[in-house]
Amino acid sequence: MKILLMGHPNVGKSVFFNRLTGARVFESNYPGTTVDFMKGWMRLEGEDVELIDVPGTFSLEPKDKAEEVAVKMLTENKDSVVVCVLDASKVERGLYLALEIIERGYPVVVALNMWDVAEDKNIRIDVEKLERILGVPVVPTTAISGEGFKELVSKLKEARPVKIEEIVERAGAGKEGGGEVAAVSG
Amino acid sequence: MQVKKEVVKLPLSVDERWDLIEKITKQTVEFGAYKHTLKDAIAELTVKPLTGIPVAIAVLYGFWSFFCDFAGTLFTDGFMVKIFDEHWLPWLQSVFPGGLGNPVYALMVDAGHLENGVLVPSDNCFEAFGVLTSGLFVPFGVVLWAVLAFYLVFAFLEDIGYLPRLAVLVDTVLHKIGLHGYAIVPTFLSLGCNVPGVTATRVLETRKQRFLMITLLGIFIPCGAQIGIMQDLVPELMGWIFLTLAIGYLGFGYILNKIVPGESPEIIMDVPPYRMPTLRNIARKLWIRTSRFLLVAVPFVLLGCLIVGLMYLTGAMDWLASVLGPLLIVWFGVPKETVAPLIAGFLRKDLAVGVLGGLMEQGVMTHFQVFTSVVLLCIYFPCLATFALMLKEENWKEFLGSLASLVVMVFVYGGLIHLVGLMLGVA
Repeated sequence: MKILLMGHPNVGKSVFFNRLTGARVFESNYPGTTVDFMKGWMRLEGEDVELIDVPGTFSLEPKDKAEEVAVKMLTENKDSVVVCVLDASKVERGLYLALEIIERGYPVVVALNMWDVAEDKNIRIDVEKLERILGVPVVPTTAISGEGFKELVSKLKEARPVKIEEIVERAGAGKEGGGEVAAVSG
Repeated sequence: MQVKKEVVKLPLSVDERWDLIEKITKQTVEFGAYKHTLKDAIAELTVKPLTGIPVAIAVLYGFWSFFCDFAGTLFTDGFMVKIFDEHWLPWLQSVFPGGLGNPVYALMVDAGHLENGVLVPSDNCFEAFGVLTSGLFVPFGVVLWAVLAFYLVFAFLEDIGYLPRLAVLVDTVLHKIGLHGYAIVPTFLSLGCNVPGVTATRVLETRKQRFLMITLLGIFIPCGAQIGIMQDLVPELMGWIFLTLAIGYLGFGYILNKIVPGESPEIIMDVPPYRMPTLRNIARKLWIRTSRFLLVAVPFVLLGCLIVGLMYLTGAMDWLASVLGPLLIVWFGVPKETVAPLIAGFLRKDLAVGVLGGLMEQGVMTHFQVFTSVVLLCIYFPCLATFALMLKEENWKEFLGSLASLVVMVFVYGGLIHLVGLMLGVA
């Protein structure tokens, strides 16, 4: 099993990576700190698991070299669990990437990072409901201080691929338009 | 686009995906009333031009003052020069076997120099030019402190989140040269070391932007090591040097942007909120970057010292000086001895400026020649490490393009500086 850390630029993936692996990759407060992937190892239930810090990307249609690296990492590591790191104060945009990854058939765990910032901004997220709709584990985290990491790690094994149709159904309405449901070919 | 993308058919179309997200977030996310905080007020003050530009100037000035005071005055002048020139060098001169004139002694400790036809010993570590004297003084006496000071402030600016705001401020100017405000990040990184600077160009969108950026970085941005030693050697010239490099960066960028085909699209960039830096992260970055510097730079500086020393001893340097002398003298207006720092510059720029320092101490150069040489050293060739990375990051065509730009630039700009000097009557 491998774990990929993915998410928008500057949501704290590198902080996750350092916390989980004890490695020392650069963390900065600007988008584009990581432009190449980094690999490290973490212990998961007595097992050594490879963790990859993927450069930030907004979607799976790459716009620059760093995003190309991100998409390449995803397609090259088909057997991975993806930890999709979202900025909890900007859930919508983060969900776009998360859904794209789910649609490609990867098991996903969603980390709602910068939970503290979202709280400061008076944004309230119903984590349980989000988890129910998405059908994947959702964990609020504050990477800088390490809150939520224990829970995140414990949920890694629960990650399963989810059919997007089920998410659409649970979100409340049938899929309009339909038609182009193609097999996810990776 | 030049990238062949692997086409993956996803179940949802872009619109359908956004619809779904809306449905999900409507049920799960609630936005409370947002209070305008002090942090927001500061954030706004630093991006609006009217207040942002003075803030930027203050920040950069503070950065520079700290750099000079901490690295230059406190450590280098306060401790290191004294330790190296008053204790280390005389001690080595007294105990190292061989003595003045012996080749091994010359390579390792002090080559000495001719004064009225008599070989005299050096009295400082710039001039001595031995592996154990200058070779250690350059990295440990001068450059280490400059690198430390630079990365300390830089890590702080990084973690607070100031850099993207600086990017917003300089966006308009950088668009004139086909770059985006975000180019300030690779530029700033390059002021520490060009190697991570070149890597950071990956955030730029098109190959054209990357090419422009890498070429400009390679030519015009001196690294922290080089700045540190220049500051130690010619503090009074630093303003002119930076001005000359900035004019070159912008002017040449403007021209390159006109002649290089390709697009320079607008990138929409996130400005992150200000955050409190953690001491842990700053300390960690400082440690990684400094140790990386020591690991990479020190062997190169020592090797460079040895090579330059050997070239002097074998007469290769004199031969090169006489071959390239006419070009250097006529075109650039610098003495033929400048060949030595130029050779050293292939390996490390800090070492090259160190060699130049030795020449200055011997009094073979005028003030203006020192200025020209320092600028030439900046622009004529990126150091070996940067050069290797350019080869890796660019394709062949781009790489040759960067090289060609470099050659043209050195001759045009170097000649121009000489010409201006002649017209002003200082050359």
